[in-house]
Amino acid sequence: MTAQLTALVSAHLHDRRRSLLAWGLPLGLMSAFIVAIFPSIQGALSDVVEQYPAGLKEAFGIGELNNVEQYLHGEMLSLIVPLAAGYLAARAVASDLSGAAESGRLDVLLSSPLPRRRLCAASFVGAALELAGVLLLTAVLTGIGSLLAGAGLGAGPAAAGFAAVWPLALVGAGLAVVVSGFSLRTPIVTGIVAGALVAAYVVDLLGKLDSGLSWVRYGSIFKYYGNAIETGIEPWAFAGLLALAALFAALGAWLFERRDLAA
Amino acid sequence: MSADPVIATVGLTKRYGSSRGIEDVNLEVVPGEVFGFLGPNGAGKTTTIRTLLDLIHPTAGSARLFGLDSRRDSVAIRARLGNLPGDFGYGRGASGREALRLLSQLRGISGFGRAEELAARFHADLDRPLGKLSRGNRQKIGLILACFHQPDLLILDEPTSGLDPLMQEEFLALIGEERERGAAVFLSSHELDEVERICDRVGMVRGGRLIAVERVQVLLKKASRKVNVRLADGGGLDELRGVPGVSVLDVSDGRVSFRYAGDLDPVVKALARHHVLDLEATHPDLEEVFLGYYEGKGES
Repeated sequence: MTAQLTALVSAHLHDRRRSLLAWGLPLGLMSAFIVAIFPSIQGALSDVVEQYPAGLKEAFGIGELNNVEQYLHGEMLSLIVPLAAGYLAARAVASDLSGAAESGRLDVLLSSPLPRRRLCAASFVGAALELAGVLLLTAVLTGIGSLLAGAGLGAGPAAAGFAAVWPLALVGAGLAVVVSGFSLRTPIVTGIVAGALVAAYVVDLLGKLDSGLSWVRYGSIFKYYGNAIETGIEPWAFAGLLALAALFAALGAWLFERRDLAA
Repeated sequence: MSADPVIATVGLTKRYGSSRGIEDVNLEVVPGEVFGFLGPNGAGKTTTIRTLLDLIHPTAGSARLFGLDSRRDSVAIRARLGNLPGDFGYGRGASGREALRLLSQLRGISGFGRAEELAARFHADLDRPLGKLSRGNRQKIGLILACFHQPDLLILDEPTSGLDPLMQEEFLALIGEERERGAAVFLSSHELDEVERICDRVGMVRGGRLIAVERVQVLLKKASRKVNVRLADGGGLDELRGVPGVSVLDVSDGRVSFRYAGDLDPVVKALARHHVLDLEATHPDLEEVFLGYYEGKGES
């Protein structure tokens, strides 16, 4: 069992080795640019942000922008990085399941003594490792940007901010396994996951904007994602999102095992 | 057949909503047998194979491979078989060697078995990305992946598709060796020539139904062949009409066109009474085989 899982995860990481640079580099460079320009615009930005309505600032995670962590959260970590990472996670799973079905590879792999649930588990674990690599590269490049510009980004808060994205994006991976239990078309799998992530963000936003609707935030994974770069990682929320991701992956594997894999 | 069957299906049925899959398929394949699964495109060959492999689940009936249930014991079954899917693909970036490495690990095999030997035999390039290979060269990699671990059962869906004639000959030789080794081979095809040359028995499938299982020689005897013959005296018609299995289609300019099914000997003897100027007998195609079979059964 472990040998098969290890072999599949290794193959996943080998096949998708380019995604580390293809995703980590642009996200990292963008984040690095954001923190690098912060010292030069901090004053002007604070004046502008002060004019914003309080609800709007809270909704978009802008805060008072007194420090670079707040700015990085508002510009990158509140929306762009989580959505990009969630989409990447879905693509990573899809490459092992729907993508493999489309290329014919799935038929070849499932001609060997490989249980389908193990294939699903390997795709989830592979996506988790791939995602960790991309987030690590993004965080490192952001740190370099801060160092070069003297932005003063704290290593601990930055690490917490990027680490908190990991379980949130893994929920996307788990959801991709679930969707693969119904459809083996990559655009459908990634499209549904991307749509679900955007919907979760919008629900969380609505709850922030309208205090009468604040209860809807409990239905969004973005509530539990929070703002780790400023407040630190909330262990229960982190573990809860991980558990949800694993639950989705298990449900998806159960569905995948029962579905027909038509030619 | 005395040996325990490697494949045994009972009432195997797969329906896709309103569209047809396979219906009530009953067949057996024994060790050391090369079984051809013959039918036109869309007849249900691939559906049958995917059901045997547990890639799709039967609507009714059951399949047992090595005495094990195709659904419940699928993993144990797949440990003992090799499969070449129809229109083999594996993704564009990976090479044959990378695919072999992963499959070896999934099968718990150290090394590549007889993969290198097969690669040399089929002139297959294991190191080139599969996306850069021609269809025929990709098919060779698929064959190697199916055979490298010397399985007890080979399931091959249209295996010679894309192979050039030389490689087809090599493939036929390989199947013969697998049979000698005691492996069973289940081979789907719509090429009668291919099936005739390597199969011991043939199952004919049409419209999702297995309409017959015959030994190859019996099948060919039932198939009607078309013959054109030109005789110097322009006669021969009456003798031919008297031969069982002959149906005359056309007579013009001393040339007689007819169909026959069954033993060729009476036809040759009837024609031997005349001076034969020219004779052409065409091999029956798949449709003619089916037609011959239906006529033999008294069906239209």
